[in-house]
Amino acid sequence: MAKPPDHDSPASGVSRRTFLKTAGVGAAATSLIGAAPGASGPTVLGPDAVPLALKINGAARTVTVEPRVTLLRALRNHLDLTGAKEICDRGACGGCTVMLDGKPIASCLMLAADAVGHEITTVEGLGTPEKMSAVQAAFVEADALQCGFCTPGFVVASTALLRQNPSPTLEQVKDGLAGNLCRCGTYSRVFEAVLKAAKATPVAGRKA
Amino acid sequence: MTQDASPKPPAPTVTYLVKVGHASAPQTLEVHAAEGDIKPWDLDSKLRVVKGRQPRLDGPLKVTGQAKYTFDISMPGMLWGKMVRASVPAAEIVKIDTSKAEKLPSVKAVWTTEARAVRFAGQDVAAVAAISPEVAEDAARLVEVTYDERPYVTDLQKAMEEGAPLVYNADQVPGSPKAPVKGNVVGPIVPRRGGPRGDVAKGLAEADVTVESTYYVPVHTHSPLETHGVIAKWEGDQLTIWASTQSISTVREGMAEYLGIDRKNVTVITEHMGGGFGSKLAASAEGTNFSGVACKLAKQAGAPVKMMLDRHEEHLCTGNAPAALMTVRLGAKKDGTLTAIHHRSFGTAGIAGGAGTGGPSGNLYANTPNCLVEEHDVFTNAGPAAPLRAPGHSQGAFALESAMDELADKLGMDPLELRRKNESSPVRRIQYDIGSKAIGWERRNKKAGETSGPRKRGIGMANGNWYVFARGSGVGAEVKIHRDGSVEVFQGSQDIGTGFRTAMAMVVAEELGLQTRDVTPHVGDTRWPEGVGSGGSNTTNSVAPAVRLAAHDARTKLFAVAAPLLGAKAEDLDAAGGKIFVAAAPSKSIGFRQAAAKMPNEVISAVAERKKQYETYRQDLAGTQFAEVEVDTETGNVRVLKVVSVNDCGIPINTLTTESQIIGAMIQGVSWALFENRILDRNVGTMVNPNLEAYKILSSKDMFEAVAIVSEIANAGNNTSAAGIGEPPIVPTLAAIANAVFNATGARVHSLPLTPDKVLAHINAARRA
Ligand code: FES
Ligand code: FES
Repeated sequence: MAKPPDHDSPASGVSRRTFLKTAGVGAAATSLIGAAPGASGPTVLGPDAVPLALKINGAARTVTVEPRVTLLRALRNHLDLTGAKEICDRGACGGCTVMLDGKPIASCLMLAADAVGHEITTVEGLGTPEKMSAVQAAFVEADALQCGFCTPGFVVASTALLRQNPSPTLEQVKDGLAGNLCRCGTYSRVFEAVLKAAKATPVAGRKA
Repeated sequence: MTQDASPKPPAPTVTYLVKVGHASAPQTLEVHAAEGDIKPWDLDSKLRVVKGRQPRLDGPLKVTGQAKYTFDISMPGMLWGKMVRASVPAAEIVKIDTSKAEKLPSVKAVWTTEARAVRFAGQDVAAVAAISPEVAEDAARLVEVTYDERPYVTDLQKAMEEGAPLVYNADQVPGSPKAPVKGNVVGPIVPRRGGPRGDVAKGLAEADVTVESTYYVPVHTHSPLETHGVIAKWEGDQLTIWASTQSISTVREGMAEYLGIDRKNVTVITEHMGGGFGSKLAASAEGTNFSGVACKLAKQAGAPVKMMLDRHEEHLCTGNAPAALMTVRLGAKKDGTLTAIHHRSFGTAGIAGGAGTGGPSGNLYANTPNCLVEEHDVFTNAGPAAPLRAPGHSQGAFALESAMDELADKLGMDPLELRRKNESSPVRRIQYDIGSKAIGWERRNKKAGETSGPRKRGIGMANGNWYVFARGSGVGAEVKIHRDGSVEVFQGSQDIGTGFRTAMAMVVAEELGLQTRDVTPHVGDTRWPEGVGSGGSNTTNSVAPAVRLAAHDARTKLFAVAAPLLGAKAEDLDAAGGKIFVAAAPSKSIGFRQAAAKMPNEVISAVAERKKQYETYRQDLAGTQFAEVEVDTETGNVRVLKVVSVNDCGIPINTLTTESQIIGAMIQGVSWALFENRILDRNVGTMVNPNLEAYKILSSKDMFEAVAIVSEIANAGNNTSAAGIGEPPIVPTLAAIANAVFNATGARVHSLPLTPDKVLAHINAARRA
């Protein structure tokens, strides 16, 4: 009988850390990455923690993480921005959606170091419980959440969708949210919320 | 899950006459409530808050990313735990070498299992705690396990064969099976509810028409989006556990027992919870002791330890819905009257028992004189099952309700008429009218597959059943009115996404004449009055009556303060719209806040216990579903267009969130019917699709029009007349979809999921026939 592949064995385990090493980007660097734009040549980082200058929700934030740390984990575990969730850790669920320069991305698929120099917007940057965005308020009103674990991802993806297409059809909403999974089954009420938010905001000068 | 339906005679009772049933057919029921209990809400009650559409109070926190789930909590000095899991399905563990992991300076604690027998790939073997999740993952990879591998079996039918590798030797079979054990098979087991009636052989012999078919449903994993996990923190002998659980009380009890400590030294907190669907009812989970291990690592390291499972682990060891192979035999007279129902099932809950699927067969169509349910548990080398939303009932209803459709076809009868003919529930009769109208039942193909063209539409329906479960004691609630007029309610059950906390605030608001927003609910903490595990659709109906009693008591106390101010007697007062007033002369009133300001003490506190459950209008919960699908007969692709679910949950506390639960159950059911299938590699015994791209669940693009209809029933049983809704609406879905596919194409697929390859093969077979 063939031996099963052992995903936990050191022999077969390709971790993000070893990947970075073998990809040739692993060597010590201590300067604040992103602080000096225009530094020439490929940057060599790690394996130890390096300081990164990130722009998150309009504010400059510095985070010191190993270069293998994803943007998602940097946000969650180092900046206490836990709205984005790690649900699949491989780009399948959309729970970790944030905006990078206004475009929705899976933050579990991006290294924090690669986010340097970009504008990152998380769900926390869209509104607060006291002052919710139109999309957030519509989600609450339509009960577009149950356990709510997928909800931050849906809120960010919906916001990005409406910024790109302020008056989407139902089919366009479905397309726009195709990358987000919800296990409690809120989809239809999410669609309702997004369409309602689109209606609630005049197209000109709309901030979803 | 307990059921306290019948009153115990000696306790003093108070008798109420209650207007029960559906508004279109009211009845009067005499109930005997425990002394001190108040009259239940019924069809005559003028409710202002309850039954309304209240957006959930925790919504703003959740849509802004501020809600802290267990997964989101961190604390100073916290370590990250990571489990090492068995990579083989059956073995003796020869050696666990953690030395390399321990050499990493950032690793602070290590645990290894004492168990030697491995029975499924995914079992706990060792664990580490380290200063970051990345290092914990590194360390887990450095643990070397040597296995002496054994033969194994992962396939249900193979496990039933003679000479199949044994998952357990005869003396190791878990639990104490009350049924015969032969190889990997335990049974026949006769279920507790829906026991045998009459003589099935006789009933089949008397029938004009009989059908017999065998159906298969594969394993479905719960896949809550927040995985299982805890944070364990010791302060001296005091242990605090933040848990992603459906039952903080079970976590407390389970951990106290496992660690040999007093349960009063254990506090468990679940503020927000990211989905469970039945998989989070245990102290850890069915196939892993992660909570216990996290507590031990935390003790060893002298630091809090966070142990959240990853997606892969979530699929392997935290529970699943059993696979089932079910044979249903039905007999009927020419006019459709059933003479016999025989349900024989073989299910696998992996290394666990409890794979029965006979609930619907034993309890639907209860007028059928002859009925026999025989269930068998088959052990396989796979992760143990856990309750999943109405355990076994979706699978069982898929078999029974598909067979009913086959019977209707053979009788040349409308499938809905066949159900009406045999219906034993007056509630479901009403639901048939509502649901068939909402879907447009008359649009269905009179002859299956009769529409022309490659894309064929069809409409099908199916029934589901569930029960009224309620805890009749051991549940409490506290309501506080503060002098500033603010109101809080404290209750130790957890809100798992159902909207429980909002519903409790509504009950308090109703009693106190306030708006829901005026009440702050506190839930999910073992320091509050005792709660229940959220399973069996029993949370609201176990807890709401205690909350209502506490609120009623607080109201009585506040009325005593207000009465002299209004020059009236306390018992003549009422409260509504934020005012307290003389019921007979509403203009004589005082604001709730003004009354509270006159309280002699800072706080009015009222604590109440759940009184016993008493007589109900119905002890079963009725539900029926109608589905419309479109099948591409060239590709075999099934698109669900619309599902209508009509459900009874007693009096719904919050209609908005009740509908959300129904919609959610339909979606999870459609997902199961069309896509979901845990695949174990029969060559190596490990899971092939332990993720969310190859284990496909329904997404936006697959979404259909979901219509949730609550058929409100005043059910009595407790002072709120609430029953339950989390589980029942997933019961009919699998069959409703399969029956709609049959109506569209004439092809009857007996095995789920309804993937294009299978559907196409059956369409081709139906064409040839
Ligand atoms: S966690 Fe990033 S897509 Fe799932
Ligand atoms: S609301 Fe629970 S996963 Fe979407």
